[in-house]
Amino acid sequence: MALESAQIKSLFDRIYNSTKAEEVQISFSGGERAGTRFARNTFTANLVENDHLLTITLRIGKRQATTNTNKTDDEGLKQAIKDCEERARLTPENPEVRPIVKGPQNYLPVQASFKSTADFGPKERAEFCKQSIDICERKGLLGAGYLPRFDWVDAVGNSAGLFGYYHYTGVNYILTVRTPDGLGSGHARDNGIRKVEELDIVRLTNRACDKAEASHKPQMIEPGKYTVILEPVAAARYVSSLLGVFDARSAEEGRSFMSIPGKKGETRLGQKIFSDKVTIRQDPTHPKLLSNPIGNEGLPIQKMSWIENGVVKNLSYDRFWAAKQGKEPSGGTSGIIMDGGTATIEDMIKATKRGLLVTNFWYIRPVDPMKVLSTGLTRDGLFLIENGKITKPLMNFRWNDSPVITLSNVMMLGIPERAQLFEQFEDTGTALIPPIMSEEFTMSSVAPGI
Amino acid sequence: MAEMRELAEIALNTAKKAGASYADIRITRNIDQTIQARDNIVTGGRDSETYGFGIRTIVNGTWGFASSPDVTPEEIKRIALLSVDVGRASSLSKKEDVKLTPVEAYVDKWSSPMKIDPFKVPLQEKYDLLLAINERLRKQPNIIRAQSNFNFIYEWKYFASTEGSFIEQEIRRIFRGYSAIANVNGVVKTRNYFVEPKCAGYEIVDAKDMLDNTERVAAEAVAHAKAKRVQPGRYDLILKPSHAVLTVHEIVAHATELDRIVGYEANYAGTSFVTLDKIGKLKYGSKLFNVTADRTLPGGLATVGYDDDGVKAQKWPLIRDGILVGVQTNRETAHYIGEKESRGCTFANHWRNFPFLRMPNVTVEPNMASNAPTPDDIIADTKDGILIDGTGSFSIDQQRYNGQFGGDAFWEVKNGKITGHLADVTYQLITTDFWGNLDAVAGPKYWESYGLGGDAKGQPIQTNYPTHGASWMRIRNQNVGGAQL
Repeated sequence: MALESAQIKSLFDRIYNSTKAEEVQISFSGGERAGTRFARNTFTANLVENDHLLTITLRIGKRQATTNTNKTDDEGLKQAIKDCEERARLTPENPEVRPIVKGPQNYLPVQASFKSTADFGPKERAEFCKQSIDICERKGLLGAGYLPRFDWVDAVGNSAGLFGYYHYTGVNYILTVRTPDGLGSGHARDNGIRKVEELDIVRLTNRACDKAEASHKPQMIEPGKYTVILEPVAAARYVSSLLGVFDARSAEEGRSFMSIPGKKGETRLGQKIFSDKVTIRQDPTHPKLLSNPIGNEGLPIQKMSWIENGVVKNLSYDRFWAAKQGKEPSGGTSGIIMDGGTATIEDMIKATKRGLLVTNFWYIRPVDPMKVLSTGLTRDGLFLIENGKITKPLMNFRWNDSPVITLSNVMMLGIPERAQLFEQFEDTGTALIPPIMSEEFTMSSVAPGI
Repeated sequence: MAEMRELAEIALNTAKKAGASYADIRITRNIDQTIQARDNIVTGGRDSETYGFGIRTIVNGTWGFASSPDVTPEEIKRIALLSVDVGRASSLSKKEDVKLTPVEAYVDKWSSPMKIDPFKVPLQEKYDLLLAINERLRKQPNIIRAQSNFNFIYEWKYFASTEGSFIEQEIRRIFRGYSAIANVNGVVKTRNYFVEPKCAGYEIVDAKDMLDNTERVAAEAVAHAKAKRVQPGRYDLILKPSHAVLTVHEIVAHATELDRIVGYEANYAGTSFVTLDKIGKLKYGSKLFNVTADRTLPGGLATVGYDDDGVKAQKWPLIRDGILVGVQTNRETAHYIGEKESRGCTFANHWRNFPFLRMPNVTVEPNMASNAPTPDDIIADTKDGILIDGTGSFSIDQQRYNGQFGGDAFWEVKNGKITGHLADVTYQLITTDFWGNLDAVAGPKYWESYGLGGDAKGQPIQTNYPTHGASWMRIRNQNVGGAQL
């Protein structure tokens, strides 16, 4: 059971009262993470993990140290604080340390916890997964799925009166379906679902099964540049590699794509780099997201745009760099939304003379961060589109390209869906991302793995 | 340890009484110290300590698991019962019972070797070393940023199972390194100092070596920023051991995890191009390609006394003379290949996590022939090649068959001589073609091992720490440069 706000405040007060440090900053992350996993249509793991972690930063002048502990008893806390104080005294002064953020801070209101999800236990998860498995079995397919459930608290506080508490419940469903001969694979997922009643396991399973069947016995075509329709699962993973470029300090120090080569201190802020169809913003209060409104060091997450109609609108400043450059600190990102259009995937397919429908991307890694050049692979269903119709399943490709280029070449955007930005299965990273149709995407080589 | 045994027996007895046919408990204390320095500032790092336990059960032939940070008799009973309930719920959709191969019972204590406890080395000494490294790096022309770090990891683990095992282990791991970022006329490149992370104490930290290499690392960062771009084409690749670590990890070690082969990981990291019928037959590489799985490798990051099923650590062949002869197994998967015993590959990276199959140390054997080439011989014998040091970009398909790798530094080799640095080198490969074109392996004198701290697998994701060793190798005729815009 997740700790309530008053319990966390009381814990924080005990820590403030146990140390002589001039400034204290604390974060708490804990609760219950449960999950049911299956593969080959049979359960492989069913688990309930209880854990919590306190991160305590103590400052003595310009010296500071941080400790992590899961001890909350008096003796355990006392020892952790004592060790941290000693480390703080030994650590050289850090001129970039800023005074802690004064409280209270006003956070965007987000109600993200729901009893129905908190009560979604091992038996209920098993029943949901069994529904999914039964569909796969009836179709003669092999399902591998994961259904995690979170009942979790992230809280921050400091000795300057700041306190923020975010309790969320969430479920995800991630499913890969393969044909028994290994020659077809499909995928579907939904994540960051706050109310378990919204989990539509039948729809997701049918989608993954349909993809597996449609992708069976893929055929090879030559690598090259193609018009692509990236479904939201793929689009989210791809767009996430762009988010790191908004760091102001690396841009202004000449170390990032946002730097202007040869012009020290100048950045691409304010430049139109992307298609005017592209707007990427953040809003943790969006009813489909209900993300954490508390940012770095307890700063409130603001509703803001990073890219607006193709123009870089903001860069992200940490507190030290903001003070140095005379800017406001950003607090970080949460609740990412890429605005879309009204086109459906079917509309995009009809509008494609020759192109590729991409279900999923896999193993995206940076190749050249200065150009935001990344590499990755297609996965779980790649289809050739000719004259407005899907004509055949294709062997996967490895690609090398940059979201800067892809989002400059946008032809159409669809209706945004909930998707996961990162290669992980936790609750964070849920975003609203549309299907993206873009031209001249570089498929570098055939990847025969299915 | 009597107290631990008592707590363990509460867990095992509670689980058995509640209907479990198997149960185990891991109580672990995980201590971690990281220190990071950037330029002349100690920027971060922290001390971390967590303590807790996890209980696995098999009920009605299916797994259950539950964990808690509250190590008390009452909580252990509660969690044992919860683990049984969870397992019972799993049996709703059971195709077949979990089949565990037999294991002997062990009552034992094992500890990774250590001469100097890194947690007792004064912080000041560590700070001074990192800041001194950074200062030397920043003194070099065109270096705009220097970063250095330490990471010390300690795990104390008490494992007990209904098989009768009560095993206490201590595992220590040390990571250290630094990097220099160069900016030459707007071209920004990073160069890293690579050194073997190990299961050991602070005695392996060679401060002199770290400091002595700063000038080289900085110079090579600058050289990389000034280097000409590689022309796309086909080249022979000469891999230093510091580069081979990732290639071996991604397209040999991962591909031979048996749980992946039979489909357990299809939903995340994928399956494998290796299938059960290929074991004993598949030509994985040339006759020079010999690979061994080894949880007993001295200093190996995955070296233990026993795995998290209580199976004793061992060493076994994966590839011999280029042919796939073995795979990685644990108690749950060994039956898929008809083996009667586990190879000991179960691991969880934290008390709160569910243990499952993770790779051990996986190493490429050096060339033991009396006429094995030296690195200089390999270079002298290469007409049109690229020498690669360190790790860089990496991306592999979901069956470990198509891969793309970069590196940390590259040199052009023309007509047997190194002619200069190259930039923007990536190569794309198909696994069996790649290793099939292995035509030179240096001897044991040039064999080195490197380790990884971020091997991710499973849902939820867990990390793992394997070591991968190799000698210098040459791979003929590979596709280079396809990643350029």
